[in-house]
Amino acid sequence: MTPTSRRHLLQGLGAGALGLAALPLAGCAVDAAQAGGAADAQDQELSFLISNLDGGWVPSKSAISSYEANVWQQLTDKLVHTDPEGKVSPWIAESWEQDEDATAYVLHLRDGVTFSDGTPLDAEAVVANIQAWAVGRPEEGLARVGLFPGSTFEAAEAVDARTVRVTFTAPTLSFLPTLGYHGCQLMAPSSLAGSLEQQSDLAFQIGSGPFVLDSWAAGDHVRLVRREDYDWAPEVLGASGPASLAAITFTVLPDDTLRASAARAHQTDVSYNVNPQVLDSFTEAGFHIEVPRYLGFVHGYNLRTDVAPFDDVRVRQAFTRGIDRAEILRTVFTDAWEPATSWLQSGVPEATDLTDLFDYDPDLAASLLDEAGWTQRDADGFRTKDGVQLGFTIYPTPYLTGSVPEAELIGQHLGRLGIHVRTQKLDIPTWGERVTNDPTQGVAEVTRSFVDVGTVAGVVTDEGEDWFAVGSSDAELVRLRDEVAGAVSREERAGVVDELSRHVLEQAYFIPLEQNVQRIYVQTPGLSGITFNAVAIPSYHAATKEPS
Amino acid sequence: MSTAATLPRRAAAPSAAAASARRYAAFAARRTGQALIVVVLAYVLVFLVLAAIPGDPISAQLDSPQAGYTDAEKAQIRSFHGLDRPVLVRLLISLGNAVRGDLGLSLSTSQPVTAVLGAAIPSTLALAVTALVLAVLIAAVLGLLSRLLPEGPLNGFVRALPTVFLSTPNFLIGLVLIQVLAVNLGLFSLVDPDSAGSTLAAALTLAIPVSAQIAQVLITALDDSAGQDYAEVAASRGLPPAQVVLRHLLRPSLLPTVTVVGLVLGEVLGGSLITETIFGRTGVGTVVQKAVAAQDVPVLLVAVVLSAAVFVVVNLVIDLLYPLLDPRLRGTEGTR
Repeated sequence: MTPTSRRHLLQGLGAGALGLAALPLAGCAVDAAQAGGAADAQDQELSFLISNLDGGWVPSKSAISSYEANVWQQLTDKLVHTDPEGKVSPWIAESWEQDEDATAYVLHLRDGVTFSDGTPLDAEAVVANIQAWAVGRPEEGLARVGLFPGSTFEAAEAVDARTVRVTFTAPTLSFLPTLGYHGCQLMAPSSLAGSLEQQSDLAFQIGSGPFVLDSWAAGDHVRLVRREDYDWAPEVLGASGPASLAAITFTVLPDDTLRASAARAHQTDVSYNVNPQVLDSFTEAGFHIEVPRYLGFVHGYNLRTDVAPFDDVRVRQAFTRGIDRAEILRTVFTDAWEPATSWLQSGVPEATDLTDLFDYDPDLAASLLDEAGWTQRDADGFRTKDGVQLGFTIYPTPYLTGSVPEAELIGQHLGRLGIHVRTQKLDIPTWGERVTNDPTQGVAEVTRSFVDVGTVAGVVTDEGEDWFAVGSSDAELVRLRDEVAGAVSREERAGVVDELSRHVLEQAYFIPLEQNVQRIYVQTPGLSGITFNAVAIPSYHAATKEPS
Repeated sequence: MSTAATLPRRAAAPSAAAASARRYAAFAARRTGQALIVVVLAYVLVFLVLAAIPGDPISAQLDSPQAGYTDAEKAQIRSFHGLDRPVLVRLLISLGNAVRGDLGLSLSTSQPVTAVLGAAIPSTLALAVTALVLAVLIAAVLGLLSRLLPEGPLNGFVRALPTVFLSTPNFLIGLVLIQVLAVNLGLFSLVDPDSAGSTLAAALTLAIPVSAQIAQVLITALDDSAGQDYAEVAASRGLPPAQVVLRHLLRPSLLPTVTVVGLVLGEVLGGSLITETIFGRTGVGTVVQKAVAAQDVPVLLVAVVLSAAVFVVVNLVIDLLYPLLDPRLRGTEGTR
């Protein structure tokens, strides 16, 4: 290359670089101009900022995700609607019958419902969906839906075009409410038949919901537009026909500070999961904050009784009596959070107020520890017995905003009693390995939803998850579990659930903290008509937005 | 006579040029081959290291007690993803598939890895290229001002700026730009991180610390050139200072500057994670961060090998550029 041509090359590169740099500079002005001019056209479009959409779009994996479920809820329908109080009402199934021992159900389907590709949502389609929820295709990497009662599932058959019969090998009262669970969304048979890779593409997924997919980009955004011929919304949403909003755009913004800033700058209509401690400032500025509670367990800790010092019931009882829950609500959360009244969320129809079994009583806690022999103190002021310090570590759940300051505050409360509580924050995979799947960790944080209270039978003993590591050693617990699992009527089961809850709290197997709020929605003023289901997922079918 | 005298020279010149071109081609082929070997070795090494880490998102999801899967179901799903095979078998299958362009499925989302990274690369490229261009421009302005401004407080200020830039964390720059430009002035939308305005702000955030390193090298090189005889001769000929700097000082200073530009490319790509996070962009940095958090080995493997490949390619390009930029290097160490 001659010196001249090199010079030309360098000059060309320099000019190109200047041009490249100038493009985005011009872009600033273009952005600002577009933001102003497009306001009218966007009046009936909803902008929703979400922290991630990383779970993918294979329904059996991501339908129950706290994130993707917000999208799925707008794209799909369910057989029944389960509301935040656990009440089941018709949706695609307009009526149903159940036999006496809760082992056979007949569902009668609504007529004229179609998927967005025009295929009918008939009995054959429902059978294909139930088969996917109950069994899946694990040999092809497609798991079933975890919380569907697959262990007692026997068969599903299309009796005629609008009637489905489902049978179980044992009483399964949870079947009907579970049909309103976010994992049980109805997909077109063609989508269900796809391979794992095909199902990972949201464009491959065909639902029958009030919105259809317009565009999506992995980890970036999903844009939905109204389905004009939609006319089968559940009555409880308070609107019929197509949705009011023309479109919804879900945009991923991982940083919660940025989502809060965008809301403050009125650049979005909904910001999902911002820090609870900034919510008051939004309320003062006229924003509407939704912290929908869902059916399930309250936020709390379950204790493994085979791990010291929780092998002594008096230590467990001192733990629960030593927590000043009112101070937690005042300090870590806002007025929107409510105290726990049991180990079950207060919306669960079978839940009763059992606060007196775990209420704050530091004097009682101290005397329980004395009685248990933790009477000596070490140089740091913590209780000891036989030279062993009374203490443990809490690994706050990475899934819940506020769990770290809450654990630190509990550490202070118990520290005043002489219990040494260490708090260690972990990332999601490490937390899964060190806490969720580690039998030597005595304290595990619970943030679990369910749509049917029968779930409690599956967690308390070794006939299930054995949360408290009691196996079958607690005869009373085993009896109560069997009665809940074998119940054939809701009324009969409600009484047993109350008895079981009392036993769990008296034994301090579970330490309730506050009503579980896992989803926080900061909504712009003028947005209304949003309905939440049993697991706190919003439906925007009837939502309206005041013109700006 | 003159014709006879020039003929051999005319014949010799193409021959020398052809020999030089052949040497250069051989050098380029050798360096390209070495670069390919480095990329393959990086693939194998990263695969083995990742295989040694316990856990994966499939097992974490299946083993969670609340999922309620039977052992048979867990075994079937693990088998589908090949997680039950020995590491070496998985490596060979993975390498064979990679050669055919099949990089596997993400364990988190089940999407093809090519789709996951393919969606993220344009955003990272836009950010990195814009940031690099801005960094070079800022450095060039600072370098030229350091020679053109008379000695005094202003010149001292310009020479101190790279140190200030280098000491300012880019997350701070980013947050200030967001607050002022997006929230206060509304110049760009936070909801659209890939818009031109947001890209420029993100690139500026990334470029400021990076420009400091380039500027420092450029200023030192210009100072060094200014002390050379040819610079003093040029100045004594009465040329204006700007001409002296642009015509006589800048070119010799380009070689160390190009070297440092190559080196800071790593900084641009590495720093892009923080910038992407601050501005909510979905780029390669974000994909890697999520893959690490979720132990999504197929995505992580390709992303790390891709980063290694970028470094190898950039170094290769710089090596191949040296002889073109500086004729003295042709046929010497550069092409040996």
